[in-house]
Amino acid sequence: MSAMEIIKEGLLGGLTSVYSIALIVFPLMVFMEIAKDIGALDWLAKSSKPITRFMKISDNSAFPLAIGLVFGLAFGAGVIIQSAKEGNLDKRSLLLVALFLACCHAVFEDTLLFVAVGANGWFLLAIRTVTAFALTAIVSKRIKIKPDKGTGTLSDK
Amino acid sequence: MVTKDTFIRGSKNGIHTVLMLAKIILPVYFIVTVLKYTGILEYIAIIFEPVMDIFGLPGEAALALVLGNALNIYAALGVISSISLTAKQITILAVMISFSHTLFVETAVTKKIGIGVLPILATRIGLAIASGVILNLVL
Repeated sequence: MSAMEIIKEGLLGGLTSVYSIALIVFPLMVFMEIAKDIGALDWLAKSSKPITRFMKISDNSAFPLAIGLVFGLAFGAGVIIQSAKEGNLDKRSLLLVALFLACCHAVFEDTLLFVAVGANGWFLLAIRTVTAFALTAIVSKRIKIKPDKGTGTLSDK
Repeated sequence: MVTKDTFIRGSKNGIHTVLMLAKIILPVYFIVTVLKYTGILEYIAIIFEPVMDIFGLPGEAALALVLGNALNIYAALGVISSISLTAKQITILAVMISFSHTLFVETAVTKKIGIGVLPILATRIGLAIASGVILNLVL
């Protein structure tokens, strides 16, 4: 294969993959803004209360959890820091939400990106979220946080 | 309420994201293609084959794991789309990289919200390795 052909394949192939990923990412970004503006997040936060209960964390954690899960770690972390400043989030919930989001965030974007290159999306989404929930639930049972604010420590029971 | 502004913001985010991923995917795809036709990729594949075999992946897939963890998911996508993989292999890579990616940046973010660097790295990399091994066995 000549150098020209290699360069051509390298460029065209790259452009083709960017195009196929853009076809998925662009509509998703518009859709996410629509979701924000119709108040889907409040709804999501409300409907994730059984989940926060299952993980034994405060109901106030539902909103940062929903934000991080949908919009990503940076956005979720911003909301978490804000809620913690306002005193809405106890140390224990803070740690558990952070742990959950570290393993599982921006699920729509990440999943669809991999679908664009040929992965099984439902499977990927299910494995990732179920594992993160299970892990958080397990850690939730094992950590003991002192009730006084601000100086919680991670320790085995 | 959904207004014209909603669509403008969404489109801006969309264009921004597409440009960002293009900036990463194009060079990665190009370099991997050059490596492929110069035989260097084969060399990399042979070196990583014993490790990647645990996950049922070819040696060159190590590039996707390394770039995904050091840089971001887009870089990993550039590799995945430029090498030949089966559907099963792509799904295994996707799960592994979903658990563990963009480690420098994201670990800094999680540190801000109160988890230590080591526990979070151990958790994420651990989940990636465990999921890769298990999926290779069950899929």
